[in-house]
Formats: sequence, C-alpha cells, structure tokens
Amino acid sequence: MDSIINISNQMVLILAFLLICAPLISFFFSLIFKRFASLIAITAISISFIAAIILFIKVWFSKTLHFSIPWIAFNNFDIRLGFLFNDLTVLMLLLITLIALLVHIYSVEYIRKDKLKPRYFAYLSLFCFSMLSLVLADNLFLIYIFWELVGFSSYLLIGFWFTKEKAVSANKKAFIMNRLGDLGFLAGIMIMLSHFHTLDIDALFGSGNLIASSFTSNGMWVSPFNMMPDYWLTIAGLCFFAGAAAKSAQFPLHTWLPDAMEGPTAVSSLIHAATMVAAGVFLLVRIAPLFNESVLIIIASIGVFTAFMAATIALTQNDIKRVLAFSTISQLGFMMLAIGVGDEASAIFHLVTHAFFKCLLFLGAGIIIHELHHLKEKHQLQFDEQDMTFMGGLFKSMPITAIVFIIAAMALSGLPFTSGYLSKDAILISVFEWADVKGGVFWIFPIIVSLTSWLTTFYIFRVVFKVFFGDFRLPQLLEADHHQFKIHEANVWLKYPVMVLAVFCVTFVFSFQPFSLEASWLFNELAPQQHVGGIYHILVPIYINILSLGLLLITYLAYARNKFSFGLEQTWIFKFSYKQWYFNEIYDAAIVKPTLLKAKAYYWFDKNVIDGLVNSSATAIIHISSLANWFDVYIIDGLVNGVASVVERLNIWFRNVQNGKVQHYIVWMLLIMITFFIYLMIF
Amino acid sequence: MISLQHFLFIAAVLFCLGIYAVITRKNAIQVLIGIELMINASILNLVAFAKYDVINNNGQLFALFVIVLAAASVAVGLVIILNFFKRVKTIDPNKANSLRG
Repeated sequence: MDSIINISNQMVLILAFLLICAPLISFFFSLIFKRFASLIAITAISISFIAAIILFIKVWFSKTLHFSIPWIAFNNFDIRLGFLFNDLTVLMLLLITLIALLVHIYSVEYIRKDKLKPRYFAYLSLFCFSMLSLVLADNLFLIYIFWELVGFSSYLLIGFWFTKEKAVSANKKAFIMNRLGDLGFLAGIMIMLSHFHTLDIDALFGSGNLIASSFTSNGMWVSPFNMMPDYWLTIAGLCFFAGAAAKSAQFPLHTWLPDAMEGPTAVSSLIHAATMVAAGVFLLVRIAPLFNESVLIIIASIGVFTAFMAATIALTQNDIKRVLAFSTISQLGFMMLAIGVGDEASAIFHLVTHAFFKCLLFLGAGIIIHELHHLKEKHQLQFDEQDMTFMGGLFKSMPITAIVFIIAAMALSGLPFTSGYLSKDAILISVFEWADVKGGVFWIFPIIVSLTSWLTTFYIFRVVFKVFFGDFRLPQLLEADHHQFKIHEANVWLKYPVMVLAVFCVTFVFSFQPFSLEASWLFNELAPQQHVGGIYHILVPIYINILSLGLLLITYLAYARNKFSFGLEQTWIFKFSYKQWYFNEIYDAAIVKPTLLKAKAYYWFDKNVIDGLVNSSATAIIHISSLANWFDVYIIDGLVNGVASVVERLNIWFRNVQNGKVQHYIVWMLLIMITFFIYLMIF
Repeated sequence: MISLQHFLFIAAVLFCLGIYAVITRKNAIQVLIGIELMINASILNLVAFAKYDVINNNGQLFALFVIVLAAASVAVGLVIILNFFKRVKTIDPNKANSLRG
C-alpha cells in the first residue's frame, strides 16, 4: 500500500501540495492585500492549474499513487493524512482548476464594481482549496472534513450579497439541507469504521480491497474484522447516498439549489453547476463497490425521478438562472442514474462534459444579466434583469455570447458533434441495456429517461429562442423608445473565458470520431470493458436525436417566430410545474412551519414558565429581604438607636447641670435641700 | 413688746433676701453683699435665741465668732473677685464658667 517514493513521486507530492496550498494562501492574502485580491486569486488558481496539468500527464494511464502519514492513532485503527492519485483524481483536478481559472477571470469584470471584491476572491479561493483537497483526500474522514468546508464556502458565496433578504435565507437553506445529508455521510463513515477498522479509500475500495473480501451469507455481512446483519450493508450505502444527494441536489433534498441562484452568477456557474454539486457524484463513484443491488436500484430511481421532475419544472420557469438551476438538478439526476445502473464511467464522463457546458450556460446567462443590469442602472429602470420575458432578439447585439450559448445548449440537448452527445447517449445506452437485462417493470426507466432527454431539448431551446431570437421585448414592455436601449457585447474579461469553454463543448476535444463513444480517450481509460457492441448503440442515439430535432423545430416556431403558443398557462399542469411541484410549499408546511411553531412554543415556555419561575422566585426573595431590611432598620436599629438616644438625652440634660455657673449650682443646692426638707417633713 | 417671733421673722426675711441676691445678681460684689445678708440673718437668729442662755451667753459669743469669720470670708471673697476681674475684665459670676461640664 505504501508506495516507494522515488524522485518523480516526490515531485508528485510537492506538486500536490502546491496545488492545494496556492488557493489557501490566496485566501489569506486576498484579505490582507485588498487591492491585489483578484490578481492574487488568479495567480494562485493558475499555479494550481499548471500543477494539475503536470499531475494529469504523470498519473493518467499509469497506476494509482498513494501517499499517507499517520495522523491520529487509536487503539485498533488510525486516521491518516494523505493523497490518493488515480485517474479519477487527476481528471477532477484538471476539470476543477480549468473551470475555476476561467471563472476567476470572468469574475474580474463581473464583480468589478462591488465593494466587497477582495472578500469575493478570498471566498472563491477558499472554495477552490476545499474542493481540490476533497478530490485529493485519501480517506473518508478527510473527505468528510473538506466536504463540510466546501459546504461552508458555498454558504459564504451564496450569501455573498448578504444585504439581500432572499440571499440570506437561500444560504441558510442550502446550509441546513446540506447538514441533513452530511448526517447520513457521517453515519456511513461510522458504519465503515466499525466494520472494516479503516477509512482508507484505497484499502477499502482499491484493488484486492476489503469490500471485495467481505461477503454476505446467511443474513450476515462478514468482513475480516466484524460481523453484522446484512441490512447494515444497505444502510451504509443509503447513508452515503444521502450525503451525496444533499450535495448534488437530488430529490428530496434538491430545493436548496434553485434558491442558491441568489449568489453572483459566476459563483453559480462554478459551484452550483460545475464543481461542488459534482462532489456528490464524485463521492459515489469513489465508493461505488460498496453498493449492493437494492441501494443501486434506489439510487437509479431517485436519479431518474429527479431528472424528470427537474426537467418538467425547467419547462415553465421565467427566470433564466432558475431554468439553468433545474437543468443542473436534472443532469445530476442523469449522473445518479448512471451510477445506479452500474455505469460509473458514463457518470464521470457526463460530469466532465456537463461541467463545461453548464458552466458556459451560466456564464452566458451571467453576461446577459450583467449587460441588462448596466442598462437598468444607466436608465434608472425598474425590471428584473433575470426575467426572460424582458429579453429577446439579443442575437444581433451580442452575437458571440449567443453563439457560445447555443453551442452549450446543443451540448446540453445531446445533439451530434457536441460533447453532450457522447456522454448523454452513453448514459441512455447503459440504461437501455440495464433495463434489457432486468426486464419487466424496469423498462419504465428508459422510457422516463428518454422523455426527460426530449424535455431537456425543449426547455433549453425555449431559453435560447426567448432570449436571442424574436424582438427585444424590454422597450415594448416598458413602452420606451427602441433605440434608447442599446445592449453591448461583453468585454474581453467576460468574452474569452466563455469562448474557451465553448471549445470544450465540442466532440473533438473528447473523441476524434464524433459518433463513437468508444473512441473517446476519456471514456476508454475509465471503462475499457464496457459497451461492446449491441443494438442499442445504433438505435438509441438515432431515435433520441431525431425526436430532439423535431422538438427543436417546434420550439423555434413557438418561441422565436411566435407562430403559435401552447395555451397551457392557465392549466393546473403549468401551475404545478411553475410552482416547482410545490416542494417548497410542502416542506414549508410539513417541516419548516411545525419546527418554527415548536420553537415558538418552546420560546413561550422558556419565556413564561422557566423565566417566570426564576423571576418570581427572585421577586419573592426581594420581598422577603425588603421585609428583613425593614425589621433591621426599624426594630433592631431602632432599639439600639433608641437606647443611644435616651442616653444622649440624659447626657445632655445632666451636662446642663454642670454648666460652670456658680449661681446655678447654688440654685441646685437649694432645690435639693428644700426637697430633702420636704422629704423629712412628709415622712 | 418685741417678741422672739419678730426677730425670727426679720432673720428669715433677711436670709431670703440674701439668697435672692446671691442667685440673681450679675455683680459679684452684690453676691458678696447677699452672703453678708445671710450671715447677718444667722447672727440675728443666734442673738435672738441667746435669751434662753443668760448665764453663759453662748449666743452672743457665737455671734462674735461669726462676725469675725464673716469679715475674713469677705476679705477672701473680695480677693477672689479682684483676681477674677484681673483675668477676665468682668465681675459677672455667670462669666466664670470655665469649669462647665
């Protein structure tokens, strides 16, 4: 397990340190040297990117490298610190650093006027650090640490515009929902620890691993160290899946992602499309050997349900970022489905291609929002710059943005000659083959997934045609002069990153043969033995794409040319979709409201009963003590003072007798004598 | 006929006048005069009661003693008053109160 460190391996280690430390240092330095924050952050992520390229060349096509040092030693196990390099690691490193670099460059312009620019870049750097460390971590405990850190930095970035009420509640929601999933993750880690006495990924899931050496027999799950009932295997799988579902926004923990769109668009594109949400898929791929048949079926069901649900919601949303958010949820559902049907290679392949085109879609939307925001500020207008009803016909004023957006939309729909064609069809083919093997009721999976695929085409081209074609609706809706509102093309900071991303949406980056999945270098390395021949290889792409093209035409006619409209706006189906299947309302009514009510009740109980008891006992004691005080002052002190004052009176009186005047003395003598005589006379 | 009661009455009146003078006067000389009055009242009493002792005449004898003592005491008293006057430039006995308690 412990690799022999030769010179080049030492280089790998140094590079890995460099890779994760650069963003961490940038996190601190951008907060100190505020004027150079963007420069520092971009430099740091460039260093990480270069390190990632070198690591990729070194590790790709070669064996797994593993470095670790002991950290915390317990009685029968120890937790180690270490790096694990395999194909998946370096691929993710390259993906994250490339996209993060482009987003950093894009952010320079996007966030230029914000007062909190240094903080923004510091948060981005912190996020990159935690995400890269998560990918590099060699055991589940370290992954869990950085998993939390990723969640935290995402919380910071969602709430970046913390003066907006909606942004604050959105980041709270994201944080709480992720905590729910993390609870599952932690429980999973504990099950693994008690069963295998190690958390090391290589030892658990690598070649000749502990998972493979454990088995279930007679209702017991047996490992070299422990024995427990076999339902614990299912529970462990479900626990890890819960963690991944929260991070990757799967049903029922998906509602945080659309709300997270309150953050800056560049953040949405980096975190909520390309990298962070992929962490859930990444985790599941890392621990895939753990899942038994029932867990896989649950993952597949939730994946396909999420994909379908999110796609139907995306059909009717008017907020451009919300459409993309639901599209992200839907695509993550596809990846989960791929894992569920046992095709992790397709899941990762789709993760990579999706990262590029979804990042591009978000950045494109960001450019439009940015320019409209400029217009709004310049003319002092009142409208929502994210609402698609105010857009339209933008192709003429921003052609480059439009072209890259359309390329990304084609990739998302999986049309030929785009990267999405390869990865999405890989998943579809896997699902068809899986259903063919299982048979029966499992044929519902391919049916729903094809339906979802067509819906994807429909909703994304609805966006394209509503935004870039037809007439510019903003002047009409505001009843203003058409020529007054000029939308400009994005400037270089915004333009070049999206153009680079557009290159990665094309098939030829991943495969020289545009229609052959097997020719893709990436897919081949990840899964050399899967997908050999079969009827579905030819049929599935053809029937999916022909129907997609048909839908594209319908969308064009409906939204670009306004030839007809669907007239569904008043029906319950439209409302159901527009209200996002009422999930927010259900959660509010079922969980948030009762929780708040309970909290209020406890508050009332605290305030009135507990505090009341404390306060009333305090008041009682105050009253008793004031009584005691009265007794002290008037009785005890009164007695003492009374004696004293009587003595004092007597003293004054007697003192006056001795006043030094001779005649007075004589009078006294006389009086006493007279008294004496009277006394004698009487008695 | 002058009876014994008349003498006693006069002596009592003299004594009372003397006491009154001693108590009320603001002048030490007058106080001294008051004392003399009282002494004289007692002498009068002694002489008056002497009629019951015609053989030894002890009453008259005592009266002579008292007159001598009174003369001496007046001399002492006057010296005290003089010294007092030297010290505080007054002979008001009320001012002589430095023994006050």
